[in-house]
Amino acid sequence: MIEILKRMLRSPQGALGLVIVGLILLAVIVGPWFAPYDPEKMAPLMRYKPPSAQFWLGTDQYGRDILSRLLHGARATVVMAVIATALGTLVGAVVGTISAFLGGRSDEAIMRTVDAIMSIPSLLLALLIVNLLGKSSVNALLAIALAFAPGMARVTRSVALAVRKQDYVNAAIARGESAAYIVGREMLPNVVAPIVVEMTIRVAFAVMLFATLSFLGLGAQPPASEWGLMVAEARRFMHLSPWMILWPSLAVALVAIGFNLLGDGLRDALNPRS
Amino acid sequence: MSPAYILKRILLIGYTLLVVSLIVFAITQILPADAAVMMLGENATPDALAALRVKMGLNDSIWLQYLHWLAGVLHGDFGLSMRTGQPVAPAMFEALGRSLLLALFSIVLMLVLAIPLGIIAAVRRGRAVDLGVSFLSYVGVSLPEFVTATLVVLVLADWLQWLPATGYVPLTEDPLRGLRHLVLPVLTVSLILIAHVSRMVRSELVDVLHSDYIRAARLKGLSKRQVLFKHALRNALLPTITIVALDVGYLLGGVIVVEEIFALPGIGRQLIVAIQARDLPSIQAGALILATTYAVANFLADIAYAWLDRRIQYD
Amino acid sequence: MATPILDIAGYGLDYATPAGFTRALDDVTLSIARGEVLGLVGESGSGKTSLAWAIMRHLPKSAREAGAIRLTGQDLLKTSEAEIEAIRGKRIGMVFQDPSTSLNPTLSLGTQLAEVLVRHRGLTRKQAWAEGEERLAHVGLKVPGQMMRRYPHEASGGEKQRVVIATAFACQPECIIFDEPTTALDVITARQILDLFKELQAETGVASLYISHDLALVSQIATKVAVIHRGKIVEQGAVAEVFARPRDAYTQKLLAAVPRPDHRLVDTAAPAAGKPLVEVEKVSVHYGRKPFLGRLLGRANTQFTGNREVSLCVMPGEILGIVGESGSGKSTLAKAMTGLNRFEGEIRFAGRRIAGLGDMDRAYRRDVQIIFQHPDSSLNPRQRIREILSRPLELYGEPGARKDAAAIGELLEQVRLPASFAERYPHQLSGGEKQRVAIARAFASKPKLVICDEITSALDVSVQASVVELLVDLQKRFGTAYLFITHDLNLVRQIAHRVAVMYRGDLVDLVDVAALTDGTLHPYTRSLLDAVPAPAAAAA
Repeated sequence: MIEILKRMLRSPQGALGLVIVGLILLAVIVGPWFAPYDPEKMAPLMRYKPPSAQFWLGTDQYGRDILSRLLHGARATVVMAVIATALGTLVGAVVGTISAFLGGRSDEAIMRTVDAIMSIPSLLLALLIVNLLGKSSVNALLAIALAFAPGMARVTRSVALAVRKQDYVNAAIARGESAAYIVGREMLPNVVAPIVVEMTIRVAFAVMLFATLSFLGLGAQPPASEWGLMVAEARRFMHLSPWMILWPSLAVALVAIGFNLLGDGLRDALNPRS
Repeated sequence: MSPAYILKRILLIGYTLLVVSLIVFAITQILPADAAVMMLGENATPDALAALRVKMGLNDSIWLQYLHWLAGVLHGDFGLSMRTGQPVAPAMFEALGRSLLLALFSIVLMLVLAIPLGIIAAVRRGRAVDLGVSFLSYVGVSLPEFVTATLVVLVLADWLQWLPATGYVPLTEDPLRGLRHLVLPVLTVSLILIAHVSRMVRSELVDVLHSDYIRAARLKGLSKRQVLFKHALRNALLPTITIVALDVGYLLGGVIVVEEIFALPGIGRQLIVAIQARDLPSIQAGALILATTYAVANFLADIAYAWLDRRIQYD
Repeated sequence: MATPILDIAGYGLDYATPAGFTRALDDVTLSIARGEVLGLVGESGSGKTSLAWAIMRHLPKSAREAGAIRLTGQDLLKTSEAEIEAIRGKRIGMVFQDPSTSLNPTLSLGTQLAEVLVRHRGLTRKQAWAEGEERLAHVGLKVPGQMMRRYPHEASGGEKQRVVIATAFACQPECIIFDEPTTALDVITARQILDLFKELQAETGVASLYISHDLALVSQIATKVAVIHRGKIVEQGAVAEVFARPRDAYTQKLLAAVPRPDHRLVDTAAPAAGKPLVEVEKVSVHYGRKPFLGRLLGRANTQFTGNREVSLCVMPGEILGIVGESGSGKSTLAKAMTGLNRFEGEIRFAGRRIAGLGDMDRAYRRDVQIIFQHPDSSLNPRQRIREILSRPLELYGEPGARKDAAAIGELLEQVRLPASFAERYPHQLSGGEKQRVAIARAFASKPKLVICDEITSALDVSVQASVVELLVDLQKRFGTAYLFITHDLNLVRQIAHRVAVMYRGDLVDLVDVAALTDGTLHPYTRSLLDAVPAPAAAAA
């Protein structure tokens, strides 16, 4: 672990990604305690304030402190995205591994179906699923997880097949190792690294997708301080106070940039031969 | 490229669309809403509801309903909108036309910008230009469409007042105004694609420039320019075709958001309206048409790739 | 002798790295006159390819140089980029190692040949194309017009290398660098390319720098030889002189490492006759499956045959060599015998029938071990050597047998590696060390038969020699039988008791090693033997 961290710090992407994601995780964990105000406390006299010493990032249409809302919203946005990605990865990894393991016609049938599902754009699939399940954060999470599963299945399968062709797996088969040992000790450690990389990059997409769903009114519901929802609500007041819409937009972008950089840094750091 | 390969791809498209239609039908049909209640309202008499259910075939088994729907779809008949009572297909295809216009402009803008950016970054690898392009592409792929849209509207429409923020004017009615209305949506949709594709072009070209045959060409006495344009570019841009086709998926997702934000009456906006109104036939039609567009784009990309790349022996 | 064409004087090359400079070449002095062939011999990492790049002026920005490289008196180090571009391909040509990577896959062979003629001889495209056809005919290609229009994937390795050679000779250069031009080719094709080289060399009198790791080959074609080791030329002189009386210790070691059929490492006498250890009877292997759509369209079966009814047997303690070109089915057989390929037919091991994968139980797998060609692929990069070696002990060790660090240490010492390697990962070891670990893993179960699948072909000559010596030593200690698969006839003649020859999935010959010199042989075996350069006169 320490060695991987050291390798990550050596590349500019890895170092920057670590810093950004580290700050975001800090905001997720202790953000609410550091928030200067109650994120839902309305103050009719303090509406549409620009950034000032009192309100660092200004206030919204109800006079709520934007910084406090962003800090509280970090959990709603980032944690949801991470869970959705992890869930999608899990489902995808299981399907992909089974497909690679079965091989032959079953593999082909599964992969053709996965391809077919992937021809529904992920935002559209998520929209349809949310529509089916009803508007809420949890349903948006499930929708994103399901929308990610086919892509992760494809990645897992191709990685698993590449590893399967390696002679160390052949050697284990020739040695008479059990299927459990081959999958668990020989293949898995070599499959996990690329999947972790792919997953990290997908967290960035999940954050964007989740915020987009909330923006379209299908994810988090008011008065939540989810960032996409904050942008959607601020749109009407864009002319009055551009700050209201700018800050949550930048927050979403920053999280996505952070995870993208972290993923690329991890890719380099996890390569055992570099 | 043999006829068998094309036939195989066509069969695959058929299978893809079959699976998509099943998914779309399944997801929409198990909606908790009762279609008959939705059409006649909460106060309808039970008799009227029952009659309508029979008429709409809602009492049939789910498979029969699916086959019935599929048969209609194959004839271009997606049913009647629950919201307007009008046939779904004409409205949807008209909307699709507007969306394709948006998509087409975005792809053209993307190709015009992304390929040169990628090439410059690859050729000047490690220099300031490369780092700049690299940084911008990180930012670009990390901005969801609604954020990009917000930013371009703030800057170009609100502050500078160069362009209209929302609305749509058909090109046939007033080409100039129509184009002005398209600029912001096109910018928004293409930004993420430009960022992604320029990064791909760069990394492909860097790989190709490191290959043995490029070195061999240089050592035959060809200049850097000759090697880049005659030997390297072609090989680096080939895989980009596939990437662009795969990006059409993002593009279509982006189109949905962008049309909603800019009040552009394309298929994405139709779909959102349909979803909000729980208008089943419209949702089904919209989803199926979008998925078909994507599948066809990938099919065309595969055929183009196979035609351009002589190495691959398709059977 | 006339003034040399290529004259390298006191040339040094360093690469700047974050950790300081690393030396690639040190005080290299060489010269090649018209009509001469200088063989530059060295192992991987010796700097021989760096020298080629330096002559071609194709160095990274981190390169720091000293000395001079003169082409008919003109110092290339002081020549401008534009002039260099005019010299490359016109006055100095180059032939690369692997024609499948040195040709652009998306341009026709003709385009790639003609562009040189357009660039350097100012011909029009049409003239260049006609001239190109002539050039291809000249390098022995039968249908030059057709070959011009083909793409690299439509030509064989030998045909492609002929095109590369035609390109190098196209502008009548004064000097040509050949960088291992036959290494990537099959034995017989390599022979033909070598003959072509000799012919063109004699005809044009071009000054050739022939880079190779293969001493035997260089002894046949070069007039002068230079041995390079760690960036330094340790010895150079006339071929006969250097080979007969090597002065430098490294040259002597290198010469001693070259496999020679007349220098047996194992007693020629086959082990006493008795019951065979393993019998392979009519084993066939098919790859691929019938494509669904192909069948639908009524096309022929596209299944590929790996082995066609191969029968052979191995006696206890015997070394059976299997030779053949790539794709001849050697490895396919190895995989069938270790349960990695489905097969038809039958294998009998120590009297037991093995009809399929199901019959390969723990006892069979313990007794039959396999070592693969590339240790990079056969050792799991995420396991320490300790874990890699402990698996066979756990699987096959007798209950109560030791599996501790001491046991692992013994296994490592058996293959002459320090016991401390147990805590390392594979990527921290050199190629030869990794292959030794793979050998240790195979011997951990005290097997009766070890299948060696091209296990030395990825290694340098001197490393190969020490690995072969180790194998012979282990064979003597444990009486293990080997199925030794290789494409190197000289090597197999050194250690095998009997030799099996495979060609396109068929077993064409199975003879005692002595019969290779005077027995009646299959024509293919004969041509294989003729293709292999016999090493130069035995060193001391």
